[in-house]
Amino acid sequence: MPTDRDLILQTRRGDADSRAAFGELVTRYQTSVFNVCYRILHERGEAEDLAQETFIRAYDRIHTFDIEREFGPWIRRVAANLCLNAIEASKDTAELDDERDADSAQLPEAVYEVHERSETIRSALASLPAHYRVVVELRHFQELSYEEIAAELKIPLSDVKSHLFRARKILAEKLHASH
Amino acid sequence: MHLTDEQLNEYLDNETNERVQIETHLSSCGECAARLSMLQALFTELDSLPEVALTKSLAAPFLTTRSLPAPLPKFLTLTVILQAAFALTAIIIAVPFVANLLPAIEISSLMEGITQLQAQWINLLDKLSTFNLQPSNLPTFNLQPATFQLPPLEISSLLMALAGVSVLWILGNGVFLRNQR
Ligand SMILES: [Zn+2]
Repeated sequence: MPTDRDLILQTRRGDADSRAAFGELVTRYQTSVFNVCYRILHERGEAEDLAQETFIRAYDRIHTFDIEREFGPWIRRVAANLCLNAIEASKDTAELDDERDADSAQLPEAVYEVHERSETIRSALASLPAHYRVVVELRHFQELSYEEIAAELKIPLSDVKSHLFRARKILAEKLHASH
Repeated sequence: MHLTDEQLNEYLDNETNERVQIETHLSSCGECAARLSMLQALFTELDSLPEVALTKSLAAPFLTTRSLPAPLPKFLTLTVILQAAFALTAIIIAVPFVANLLPAIEISSLMEGITQLQAQWINLLDKLSTFNLQPSNLPTFNLQPATFQLPPLEISSLLMALAGVSVLWILGNGVFLRNQR
């Protein structure tokens, strides 16, 4: 079985098999990339679209990928960034989103009764402002350091910390209230 | 003095230089230890979030690709072979007719025309070199139309020529279609 590295090199050759080689990479990582998008966007269709978009962009820019790095972590970071950009691009149409999200209003009681615990966690995540969500994603699910998150999102280290700590506070309040 | 939220967060994230001091405080302060375990519980909860399955494959756009050379459909392959065979047969049939036709074109009449043109050209050059701006001296052309003697046309040879062209066209299309796939 070819390694990720083999497949990337084959994709770069641009011959008849290069698309198929990239297709194999997509098969390997599509679920984890889709889950990145789903955790951030909390909407299936949107998450699938953004995950697809992630792979299309990665294919177009495969020549810029550093072959010495791992493909999985890289593509997941690309996905997180893409989701954040997508949310920010749609901000004009949903200007009040952040205000609504930031307020720590309790989730409707029905949510706790109907959904499983994981759905409660997802709803709590979705209630965070977009840039909080992405920091939580990068720290908890992609296990990046503060420095790496700052570099990835091009924000100061102090913002990484304040977003992350505030996000955790909000999440803890919502999830503990829901036990 | 209790630990700050920042200290607790950094401690759990392994992003602190004060591990020893923090642990010392935690070991002696139940309140801070409780705050830490609350935060730890959130970490565990986030870790427990299961992945969900996709409902469609995102690899599809890369696997159904035009850049992979698809084999020719069977009917098309058959058509191309038949076209080629037909064309070959037609050419073989056409060759004797064309061979008969070629000598029928009288070379002498062609040569005559060319010689005449050449003479006119030399004459013109001559007149230009001795040109003295008198209107009467303007070169006058008297190009005698060359009389080509067409070979005797027969309806059968016309038809054969037409057939030959059609065959070439079909053959060309066959090759072109094959290259395009
Ligand atoms: Zn304390």
